[in-house]
Amino acid sequence: MLKAEKLSKNYNGAAALSELNLEVNPGEIYCLLGANGAGKSTTIRLFLNFIQPSSGRALVNGMDVTREPLESKRFLAYIPEQVMLYPHLSGAENLEYFAALAGHDRYSRGDIEGFLRRSGLQDDAHHQRVSTYSKGMRQKVGIAVALAKKAGALLLDEPTSGLDPEASNEFSVLLKQLRDEGVAILMATHDLFRAKEVGTRVGIMRRGLLRADLDPSELDHADLERIYLEHMHD
Amino acid sequence: MLRQIIRKEVRETVRDGRFRWGAALVGLLLFLSLAAGFAQRQEVARAHASAEAMSWAQWLDQGDKNPHSAAHYGIYVFRPVSSLSFVDRGVDPYMGVSTWLEAHYQNPFEHRAVQDTPALARFADLTAATTLQLLVPLLILLLAFRSFSGEREQGTLRQLLSVGVNPRKLATGKVLGVGVALGLLLVPAALVGALALLMAGPGGGAVANEGLRYLLLVGTYLAYFGIFTALAVGVSALAPSSRTALALLLCFWIGNGLLAPRIASDVARSQLSLPSSLEFQASIQGDLLEGFDEHPPRELRQAILRDSVLASYGVDDPAELPFNYAGLSLQSGEEYANLVFDRRFGDLARRVEGQLELHRRMGFLAPHLSVRSLSMALTGTDPAHHERYAAAAEGHRRLIQRILNEDIMVNSRFGETYIADGSLWSQIPEFEYKGPGAEWALAGQGTAAAGILLWLLVGGILARVGASAVARRA
Repeated sequence: MLKAEKLSKNYNGAAALSELNLEVNPGEIYCLLGANGAGKSTTIRLFLNFIQPSSGRALVNGMDVTREPLESKRFLAYIPEQVMLYPHLSGAENLEYFAALAGHDRYSRGDIEGFLRRSGLQDDAHHQRVSTYSKGMRQKVGIAVALAKKAGALLLDEPTSGLDPEASNEFSVLLKQLRDEGVAILMATHDLFRAKEVGTRVGIMRRGLLRADLDPSELDHADLERIYLEHMHD
Repeated sequence: MLRQIIRKEVRETVRDGRFRWGAALVGLLLFLSLAAGFAQRQEVARAHASAEAMSWAQWLDQGDKNPHSAAHYGIYVFRPVSSLSFVDRGVDPYMGVSTWLEAHYQNPFEHRAVQDTPALARFADLTAATTLQLLVPLLILLLAFRSFSGEREQGTLRQLLSVGVNPRKLATGKVLGVGVALGLLLVPAALVGALALLMAGPGGGAVANEGLRYLLLVGTYLAYFGIFTALAVGVSALAPSSRTALALLLCFWIGNGLLAPRIASDVARSQLSLPSSLEFQASIQGDLLEGFDEHPPRELRQAILRDSVLASYGVDDPAELPFNYAGLSLQSGEEYANLVFDRRFGDLARRVEGQLELHRRMGFLAPHLSVRSLSMALTGTDPAHHERYAAAAEGHRRLIQRILNEDIMVNSRFGETYIADGSLWSQIPEFEYKGPGAEWALAGQGTAAAGILLWLLVGGILARVGASAVARRA
């Protein structure tokens, strides 16, 4: 569903991402670990076509995102560290708007509330203005957008940073549900614990290079942390 | 999808306190200026009509007297006020409202409203046209300057682009969204205007086709607002920040609405100067006394006329002619003077028209000048409409002189003291002016219309370029 082929990005000669090869299939959660500046966000932004690759290709459902910028996004949903919404609109109105822009403009009020409920947003918040929402509530609207879009691939950029443990846990439960429904998920994160919890695979990045590609089911938390630190310090 | 974009833009706008206050303020000003303009128009129209009727009654009632005395007694006519002047007073305050139709002389229009106005009060003269030409555009800029830059700053733009929206459609939706929000204010205002027009009735005949003129006026202002909306959305997309977008747009607003009219009048004045009132009157007096081109001075002119008339009738004394020579001489004097008036007033009108066309051409640089010209033309308050009325009044003056002079020629003897019967005055037809239609009003406005269209195109291109840039600079 998501595929990077020798994907590279240079900024003024400095490599932000070097020849990344990566594939995330339906039903997989690929967690990218690494320090700030390791190239995790760059990877996600390349898939979104927010930036142009210096070389290589980013494919979504087989489509080169630079060649088919609008078509490829139909399969994508994006949840950044901070899901940005319109403060003067309610959660339901925001969801309705983003869904409509993605081409799903026939949802009823009931459908919209259904997506919000599935994302774990409490009913009494659906029609309140987003300006009153906590960060966790906004992230849930972001998930609801992904649900409403029926996206085949989810791009997450540190989606749980700053969430309290309970909200973070709820988020993980949702991701697992989506994975089980066959969504391909690529998540950039600092959270080793979450990565081990939800990831079907874990990649460790440093200075634009994918240094390791691990199967977390074969490791315990301590192993993962040790390997991660080894890669950070050599 | 477009529908949802528009709905979201309108929702956000309407929920924004700044819009509510701004729109309420502009709306209040618009309704007040419409109401005040309407009340003033009705009052002035009534006053003009009754003053003209009074002057006509006095004319009919002057009793037995010499027709030439009656010609000097004269009639006052008052320019009817356009029933659309409640929207735009145009140059009405700067033009005289009445003229005196008397023997020998085409009098200029007297009694300008600005003469009775203290200088400072001119700035307080709020008309619907000022509100529409200056304040509504300002409201549009304040509504739209954040349309893209604000979304970029609050991060929603990236979210939007991640769902795969076509940026061009987004820009279109934003432009139309501003239009709909503004419609909440402008549609009621347009309806109030239509109601005022109906209440004004067929207003003294200053203009014809009022309904069509009003529709065209509404269309012109819509196009003008479209320019500002498209420009604001385009600049918002291209500017690095909302702050820069606002600064750029305000600069344009000031240049367009405040500086351009001043610069245009300075340029027009320096390119095509108008004679002062004193110089103008002196030039007419000079022509009348000294003659012009092949026309000899007055004394000689009169001697030539007398000799040629006497020769053609084969007599030696005017008293021997079969008609009263005094009447012929008076009429001949009128006809010579008419040549002078046509030449001098025509030259003045051409200079004024040249200045106005210069203003309209400068509309390619500042659309305010174009919309101002179209608005005045459609409301029937531009110099061309004044000119047309003045020409009609002058035509009537010439008719009065001819009828009275012919009466002297036919019904009296040379040298006698002739007193005409009071019934003669009613043989003069009452002056009735029929105002021009919309087509006539627009005949000279091609440049202004082209200016509006050009700027619409510029706005559209800017919005399109902005939309494409947005996709690249998430």
